[in-house]
Order: sequence, then C-alpha cells, then structure tokens
Amino acid sequence: MTTISNNNIARAIHSATKGKNDAEQSLIFTKVIQFLFRRRLLSKAPDILLHLNKVINDEEGRITAKISSKSKLDEKIKKELAHALTKRYSVKEVVLSEVLDEKLLGGFKVEINDEVIDLTIKNKIGKLQEYLISSA
Amino acid sequence: MNTNHIVENLKREIENFRSQIKAEKVGRVLEIFDGIAKVSGLSDIKSSEMVTFPNGEMGVVLNLEEDVVGVIIFGDFSKIREGDEVKATGRILEVPVSDNILGRVVNAIGVPIDGQGAIKTDKSYPIEKVAPGVVTRLSVSEPVATGIKVIDAIIPVGRGQRELIIGDRQTGKTALAIDAILNQKGQNMICVYVSISQKDSKLRKIEARLEEGGAMDYTVIVSAGASEAAALSYVAPYTGVAIAEYFMDQGKDVLIIYDDLSKHAVAYREISLLLRRPPGREAYPGDVFYLHSRLLERACRRNEKYGGGSITAFPIIETQAGDITAYIPTNVISITDGQIFLETDLFYKGIRPAVNVGSSVSRVGSSAQIKAMKKVAGTLKLDLAQFRELEAFSQFGSDLDDATKRQLERGKRAVEVLKQLQYAPVRMEHQVVTLYALTKGFMDDVAVEKIKEFEQGLTDYSERQAKVFYKEIVEKKMWSEKGEEELKKVIEDFKKSFIK
Repeated sequence: MTTISNNNIARAIHSATKGKNDAEQSLIFTKVIQFLFRRRLLSKAPDILLHLNKVINDEEGRITAKISSKSKLDEKIKKELAHALTKRYSVKEVVLSEVLDEKLLGGFKVEINDEVIDLTIKNKIGKLQEYLISSA
Repeated sequence: MNTNHIVENLKREIENFRSQIKAEKVGRVLEIFDGIAKVSGLSDIKSSEMVTFPNGEMGVVLNLEEDVVGVIIFGDFSKIREGDEVKATGRILEVPVSDNILGRVVNAIGVPIDGQGAIKTDKSYPIEKVAPGVVTRLSVSEPVATGIKVIDAIIPVGRGQRELIIGDRQTGKTALAIDAILNQKGQNMICVYVSISQKDSKLRKIEARLEEGGAMDYTVIVSAGASEAAALSYVAPYTGVAIAEYFMDQGKDVLIIYDDLSKHAVAYREISLLLRRPPGREAYPGDVFYLHSRLLERACRRNEKYGGGSITAFPIIETQAGDITAYIPTNVISITDGQIFLETDLFYKGIRPAVNVGSSVSRVGSSAQIKAMKKVAGTLKLDLAQFRELEAFSQFGSDLDDATKRQLERGKRAVEVLKQLQYAPVRMEHQVVTLYALTKGFMDDVAVEKIKEFEQGLTDYSERQAKVFYKEIVEKKMWSEKGEEELKKVIEDFKKSFIK
C-alpha cells in the first residue's frame, strides 16, 4: 500500500512552481486544487501548506523558532538569541515568533522543528523535584 | 530531627543540584487509541527507543514512518491527550538489574510489584540484544536436574537447552515448570519465572508455593498481568531474559520459564494489528517467528573464555484441543531443542505428569545425562513404546505368549514408576535406584498397586544400606561393580521384607 504523504505533495508543489512566472504558477495552482479535490485531500490543505512552508524555509536557509516566555523579551536579548540560533543551526536567518505563557514562571523556551531548549523556571523546578526525590 | 536540620539538609541538597541545559527532541500526540499513540515530530528517534509522556507514563517506539512514529504505551493511557508533548529519552528500552532482584516480583519493565519497596540497582540491561554468537558457545553437556522422573530419565534437559513444554489447558504445564524450579535448590541455579497474561490469582499461588519451598531465594518473577496493557505482555519475556543475562554474565547458570508464549504471540498480534501491520496466517504478523526465535536464541551455554554461564529456557505453549499443528506451536517446536508433550487423556487416566513419552523428545539433552542415568534409562523409552503398542494389540485377544505378557507387566510397572505427585521432586540418586530396580526386573513380582509403596520404601531403605552405591552416584555419576553388587543385595533384602 503506497500513500502519498502531505510532505510529498508539498515537495511536488514546490518543485513544480519553482522558477515559474505568475501566469504559469496560477495554472499549476488550479491543477493542484483539482488534484486535491479528485483525491479527496482538500481537508489536508492546512497541513500541506505547513509542509510547503517548511520546504521553502529549508531551501532558503531560514528556520522559524517559537519562543515562549512569561513576559515579552527585550529586543537586545532577542537579537542575541537569533544570532546564537543562526550559528547553532548554521542557517542564514532565524524568524522568531513569540508566545506569552504565564505558567512558565520565568525564563524562556525555544522550539525549533521538533527540538526544544527549555530554559524556563517551571522546567527547572520540575527537574529539582525529580532530583530531590531520587537523591532521597 | 528538628525543622532547622531539615531545612539545612534541603539547602545543601539544592546547592548540589545542577541542571544541564540540553536540546530535547519532542513530538506531539496526533492520535491515541488502545494503548497505541501516533506521534508527530521526534525526528532522529531510534526503533525501540523509550519516550516519556507528560504524566510520567513510558512508551516505546515500534513503528517509524515518514512523518509519524507509532508508540506502544506501558501503563495507563487514558490520561494522555491529543497534542500532549512526548519527549525522546535517547535510551533503548532497558531494565534495571542487580543481585537484589532475587526473591522479588517485578513487572515487565523491572518495577517491583510485591510491595517490598524499591530495588537498589546500579546497572541497566537492554531488553533487546543480539544472541551470543557461535564462537562464544559451548555444546550442551551439563544436566539440569528437574527432579521429575519421566523428564530426567527419558527427556533429559541440559544447561543451555531450550525445551518446550506443550499441552492443552489444565494438563500440568505450569506445575511441571514450578517443580523444576523447586528442585533447583542447592543445584547452583538462578531461576526466572516470566508470567505472561496470567491471572493474578495464579501468580499469587505460584509465588506462595515457591516461597514455601524456599525457592524464592534464587528466583525472580517477572509478571505482566492479564489486566495490564498488551505492550507489557509483549516485552515481559525480553525483560526476563535480560535479567537472566545479567546473572549469566557473572558466570552463573540460569533457568528461565516463559509461561506462556501463546499468550505472548496473542499480545504481539494485538499490538501489530493496532499498528496496522499487515496480518498473515491466523492474523499473526509476518515476523511472529522472529519474535520467538530471537527470544529463544538468547538461551545458550557460553564457553569459559567468554565468561561461562548458561541460560536454559523452558517456553510453555498452550494448544487448543491437542492441535500441535497450529501456527504458533509448530513455530516454537521448530525453534526449540525438543518438547515435552502433555496430554489431557493421560492426565485423566491418572498418569501425572501427563507426559506423552512417544511424542516428547529432547534433541540435545542425552549428552547431558549422567552416565548412571543413561545406563538405567537407556531401554526405558523403547520398553514404554513397545508397551503402548502391545497394550492396544492385547485388547483384542486373550491368548498371549509369555514374552508378551512379561513385556506388558513390565510396561505397567514402568508407567506406575514414572507417576509422580506435584511439588515432590525426586533426587537423582533415588531416581537411579528406582529405575535400576525396574529395568533389572526386581519389580516384576511386585503388584502394580503396590509399586508406589515399594518405590518409597526402597529409596528410604537403600539410602541407609547402600552407602557405597549412593556415594559413587553423587561423586562419580556412575556405579562400580562393587556398588552394583551392594545395591542388588540391598534390593533383594528389601524385597524379601516387603513381600512378606
């Protein structure tokens, strides 16, 4: 049984539209929609778009990082963070999207793809709890 | 201890605490049903790697697909929700081991369930491991004394062997295995009993029985209950063998019992179908043979150069209405080095243990039998086979020649001698004496109903009188002419007083 994954579709759309002009692109898009309709995959469209976004980002050396923190971070920290992340993931650009979460108590958490760097107070307290229980 | 002291202690502990900063791989639960979770993300995860869920439940990765991984959950999955964060641990599924585990009851992931507190461990063993290679192995040559006459005499088992116990429900499969454990006292053997999807009441009974017989000092019980997740039943035997390997690595001999592998196959079938792996014969997945072969291949006897030690495996298979040609029984029969076949008919005829001597074999065990036993048991299997044939034949006619009659009578006595009560293992020396008396014809003029009484009396009497013979069996594993003469005389003496 072979199924076409959303990722495959996203890649196909990307390689089909790459380097084409507007008129050509709009023709391709119509065909893509028709294909998705025929294969009853229209409900998967948001996920396909997400994958498409990732494919384009990968190619352009860009990653998006989700930063969760208790309060808004100041610009200086964000700049430093972006710089550090560009180096760590060896990409050209890091796009930060900020999320505020009261429950984190302090510090911040960075999520990139499926990797998480958790520097929040909440996480630290959890780890301390584990440590105290296991050392007892 | 006052409050200040506690606070001070706590302060010190907190000062010692260092948290490491590291990037963790996480995924999100996409779907959750019947103990299976489909998780997105978790790139770079390995097969059989452990993952943790937010409420502390553990899982293990079984299916790796393009964007999702299939995870089986150990424990309560009802509190896990869609969208929950799943963390990779970077560790392949492992079980904590230590010498302190002896005498304990643990679940399929090594957590104690006998209410006697935590087990202090310092090591972990991966539950999936490639079996020892050819160069590390030694052929089977040391016996496992099960204390069951019919097995030790006719279907002998050696250290490092895999001997299947197969039969219908209620034919005494577990009883046979428990007897074998009970008899290992003082035999330099560690025992691991793996209970797979068994009733908790049965497990409790077994534990109590082993406790009573003083067998828990050298036994570990690994249990995956019938009410627990199928995932636990699936890993339980591997956990058991990992614990066994820990002891084998210390150069010890280990006996492991898988009770039973048919339920293990059923648990694996459930998991596989839920993971949407294609079903094959009897709806079992395609790799069900490999499931058991990789498990049983880990039973082995290692040579001195590689540390010695052995793992002897007694897998148990339950058949339906005596059908040993079903899928799982044939698989396991072909993997193991022989089988002990138990039959309902024999059981209800009062022949217990209900071993069908004709269909039972031990493919490697005879080289592990002690010389004395080989000598007395050599003709026994043939005698019994001839007896069965003649028995069927003699029902048609009454006119039988003397030789046939003699053979029939001998057969009846042999069947009687091989009967044995549960939880009553017989020492090797006693077995040799009894079988010697039987095969040399000393029992031919004892009434069949009196055989048991005769046997009991003879073993007691000979132990006191035939000291030379007993000493030779224990030390040299074979008798000398002098010993034999002594035993013959002792048996004659005893018989005179018995028949009188």
